[in-house]
Parts: sequence; structure tokens; C-alpha cells
Amino acid sequence: MNSGAKRWLLVAVAAAMAVSYFSAQFNRYYLGIAIDIGINIILAVSLNLINGHTGQFSLGHAGFMAVGGYTAAKFTLELQTISPPWAQPLLFLVALLLGGLLAAVAGLAVGVPTLRLRGDYLAIVTLGFGEIIRVFFQTTEAFGAATGLTGIPHWTTFAWAWSFAALTVFVVGCLVSSTYGRGFIAVHDDEVAAGAMGINPVRYKVTAFVIGAFFAGIAGGLYAHHKQFLSPGGFDFMKSIDIVVMVILGGMGRTAGVIVAAVLLTLLPEVLRGFADSRMIIYSLLIIVLMIARPQGLFTFGRKAAGKA
Amino acid sequence: MNASLLQLEKVTIRFGGLTAVCELDLQIGAHELVGLIGPNGAGKTTAFNLITGVYQPTGGTIFFQGQPTANLKPHQLTRRGIARTFQNIRLFASMSVFDNVRAAVQLHRPHGIRDALWRGRGFRDGEKAVETQVMELLEIFKLGRFRAANARSLPYGEQRRLEIVRALATQPKLLLLDEPAAGMNPTEKLELTRLIRFIKDKFQIAVLLVEHDMQVVMGICERVAVLDYGVKIAEGTPAELRANPKVIEAYLGAEAR
Ligand SMILES: Nc1ncnc2c1ncn2[C@@H]1O[C@H](COP(=O)(O)OP(=O)(O)OP(=O)(O)O)[C@@H](O)[C@H]1O
Ligand SMILES: [Mg+2]
Repeated sequence: MNSGAKRWLLVAVAAAMAVSYFSAQFNRYYLGIAIDIGINIILAVSLNLINGHTGQFSLGHAGFMAVGGYTAAKFTLELQTISPPWAQPLLFLVALLLGGLLAAVAGLAVGVPTLRLRGDYLAIVTLGFGEIIRVFFQTTEAFGAATGLTGIPHWTTFAWAWSFAALTVFVVGCLVSSTYGRGFIAVHDDEVAAGAMGINPVRYKVTAFVIGAFFAGIAGGLYAHHKQFLSPGGFDFMKSIDIVVMVILGGMGRTAGVIVAAVLLTLLPEVLRGFADSRMIIYSLLIIVLMIARPQGLFTFGRKAAGKA
Repeated sequence: MNASLLQLEKVTIRFGGLTAVCELDLQIGAHELVGLIGPNGAGKTTAFNLITGVYQPTGGTIFFQGQPTANLKPHQLTRRGIARTFQNIRLFASMSVFDNVRAAVQLHRPHGIRDALWRGRGFRDGEKAVETQVMELLEIFKLGRFRAANARSLPYGEQRRLEIVRALATQPKLLLLDEPAAGMNPTEKLELTRLIRFIKDKFQIAVLLVEHDMQVVMGICERVAVLDYGVKIAEGTPAELRANPKVIEAYLGAEAR
């Protein structure tokens, strides 16, 4: 069962590459949406580790995404001219990992002092953090200030986006399904009882936060090399809310549900494109209706309960 | 230090103006079964919270295995060998019976985050060992057939039993039970009495039992301490306490009336 997970990851990455190989034949618009979906899966599944499995309430995911996005974009913009063309995939990989790493460091910096706080305080602090990050990029000349960064190479292919989506699902899934990972869910269920069972709640919360931030950073880098331009406005509070909605709608802590929600909520605005101005209103209303109708999440696939996973 | 496993020396905690536990002295030997009784609000659960590091005392010192426990967090104390159950059952609500116990086994395992991702040979063997260990524990306590059920869906008595099993899974040297008989019928209580004795013998551990049911306490405890308004007013064998007028007035009398 355990080595099955690794095999699954390899197959998923291979499939992403195979699809990507034929991507020239796809409609560019649909291909773009498919990449959006991949990126949103990374965001939603990684936030699900924090908000769903571990039971925190973070509103800072767009902030971590921004850290990763700007870092990766700046890195490629500086180095692409002096690096040989054959090194491009390597350069991109390093850019993404660097973005993820810096986002993780940001996660650690925010997480360590604040994860002792209760849920709603954490929500406020992470919200504030997201805004600070946004304002930082908005006012820093080196990152293009209010205009943002432009001319980022279009390196995010279907393969890149979906391989990292598969990796995110793999990492979160493997963590949570192990005996070690019961700790995340134990902390979610009851912090006091978790402590009494020898589980260090703060440690698990920080771990979830840092891993979640890392993948948000990766998603940011993919996003930057997909849209080819970054503006601080793209990482505002609403972006964080969008991801939170995916997690809630997917059913907190249920990876499969969160993936489906990420797919649907990426498609929904596209489907509603025809409604022009009223699009956002319809989108918001639909979400409100869904939340009221299914507060436990749209998709209640049972979490594997028994010992055999 | 002497041979006592747990030692409380003049332990005090104040909540604002209220002294919930006042200069409490208490000793528990390595394989002792000690009772802690007292009327509602006497400070029994607070004493548990002090011993397990949920609260830090405002005065006095607690020693576990001769080491002061000041500033240790609950999870660190569990690691050293103190496990507990809760007066209001606190099982992990979204987990199965099996996983409740599995979560508690984690602390003695060398496998962390890296192994969980890489899933090498050692990790897989480790996970198998955990499965066996958890199933064994569940079988001993006749919970095996509930393994896949959600923990909170069990009958009340079974939930209490599961909480004890989960605490035992941390491999404690000292087990603190906070009113394990609450809400049980006489048959279940009798069974619980047997179970506690069995645990003490089989796992060779010390037990500190908070319990309102006098039959349970007097039936199994070797020594009993009586708290009243946070103060220890008496301590002795069950027989000694039954004859102690202070105890009768503060506690037993209330029941006799
Ligand atoms: N965190 C707290 N803050 C303020 N007061 C507290 C706190 N914890 C306990 N107390 C108070 O300390 C006193 C002792 O409470 P405790 O829960 O220890 O009693 P108990 O002996 O366990 O009673 P019971 O038999 O009802 O469980 C009570 O007056 C309680 O209100
Ligand atoms: Mg109590």
C-alpha cells in the first residue's frame, strides 16, 4: 500500500508530461484553464493541510503565493539572459523551489509567534500578513512596485503545473495517512487531548503551516510563469478567500473533495464569462447557496477510517 | 530522592482569588494504586492538570522520577511517562477507534516526516508494527470489533475504556484516571474495577484514580487522599478513612445522609 503512493506519483507525473507533449494541438484557451486548474489544486490542497487537516484558520495563502511568485519571477528575469537555453528547465526548477523555500521561511516567521493563538486570532494575523506582503511588493521598486513584473517567460506548461499538483497531493496525502500524520488530525480534533498523547500541537501546527506555505510559493512561481506578469493586486485578500472557499466547499480535510472543488471553482468563472458584469455576483451567490446547502462540504467522501489504508 | 515515582511538595495554584489547590503534598510509588477523592470543586481535576503540565503551579514543586517537572509541556510529560484520561471524554472525534490509539503510539516511534514521505522499508515495517501493537491493545480491552467505527459513535462505557486504552498506548509509568466510572451502571463499574487492577498488574504501572463512586475507590485503592476546597484533609488506607471523622463530615457523610 505504501509504495503504491510513490508509484502513483510517478504515473501522475508521467501522465502530465504525456498530455503536455501533445499540448500544441490543444486550444490555447483551454490549455490555459487546465494550467489554472493545476495551480489551484496545489493552492487548495496545501491550504487544506493547514485549514482542513490541522484545523487552523489561515487567510494568508495569497501572501505566500506572492512571495513564491515574485521570488521565482525575479530569479528568472535576472538569470534567463545569461543562462544557456538548454539550462532553462533547470533554471525554472530552481526558481520554483527558491520561491517555495522563501514562502516556507515566511510561513515559519509568521507561524512560530502566532500559532500559539486560537483560530480567529490566527485568521486576523495571517490576513494582516497577506496585506503586508502585498504592500511590500506594491512599494518596492525592485519588484516593479505598483506596475508589477512583466516579461516573465512563459515556462509553465501543463506538465509543470500538473506534476507539482500531483506532488502536492502526494506529500499531503502521505503525511496525513501515516501514523506520524495522525498528529495533524489529532491537533485538529482536540489540542489538549493531543498534548496528553505526547503530540506537540505547536510543532505540528508550524509544520503544517510551513509545508502549506512552501507549496503556495511553488504555485506562485507557476502562476508567474503562466500569466507572464505579476501585479500586487493579484494577491489580495480576495485571492486568499477564493482558496479558502475551495477548501471549505471540498469538505475540510478531504483531499479528493478539495481537488474537485478546485476544478469546479476554476471553471465556474470561465463558464460565467458570458454574463459579463454580473459574473462576480452570480459566482458569489452560487457559493453562498452551496455553503448553506452543504455546510459540510460538497463532497463527503469518507476519510479512510480503519487501520488498513 | 526516595523511590517515589511522583511527588508533590506543597503544590499550590490560584486562579485569581480562588486557591484551587493549596499546599498539596502527595506521593505515589512505582506500582501503587492511589485514590484521590473529594467533593465537587475540591480541586481533583486541577491536581491532574498540574501533574500533567496543563497548568503551572503558583507555588511548590512536582517531581516525576526525581526530576522537577516545572516548565515541561503536557506532551513532554507524556513522553516521560505520565498519561491521563479526561473527566469529559476527549477522544479524537473525526478518527476511528483504531486511529485514536494509533495517534497515541506516535510518540515512541522514530519515524517522522521524512519517512512518512519517502516510505522506505523501515517505515513500512514500522507502520506494520504499529498496526499490530494497536490491534493487540484493542483486543486486550475487547475493543477490537469496534476498530473501524468512529470513536464518538461507541457506547459511553466503551468510549471511557477507549480513552484508557489510548492513554496506555503512550506506554506510561503513571496513569491518571479522572472519574472513569462516571455515567456507568453497576455492572460496568464492577468491570471497570477489575480492569484497573488488571492494568496495574499487567503493565506494571502506578495509577492515580479520581473517582466519586466510593465503592470503586475503596474497593481497589491501596491508599486514598482526600481533598476539600483544595486542601488535603486526610490520607490513609480505605479502612482508616472510613473511621476518620473529618472525612466523614466533608465527604462520606454527605453520601450517608
Ligand atoms: N482554569 C480555571 N480557571 C478558574 N478556575 C478554575 C479553573 N480550573 C478550575 N477552577 C476552579 O477550581 C476549583 C476546582 O476545580 P476542579 O475541576 O479541580 O474540581 P474537581 O475536584 O475536579 O471537581 P469535580 O468533582 O466536579 O470534577 C473549582 O472551583 C473550579 O471552578
Ligand atoms: Mg473534576
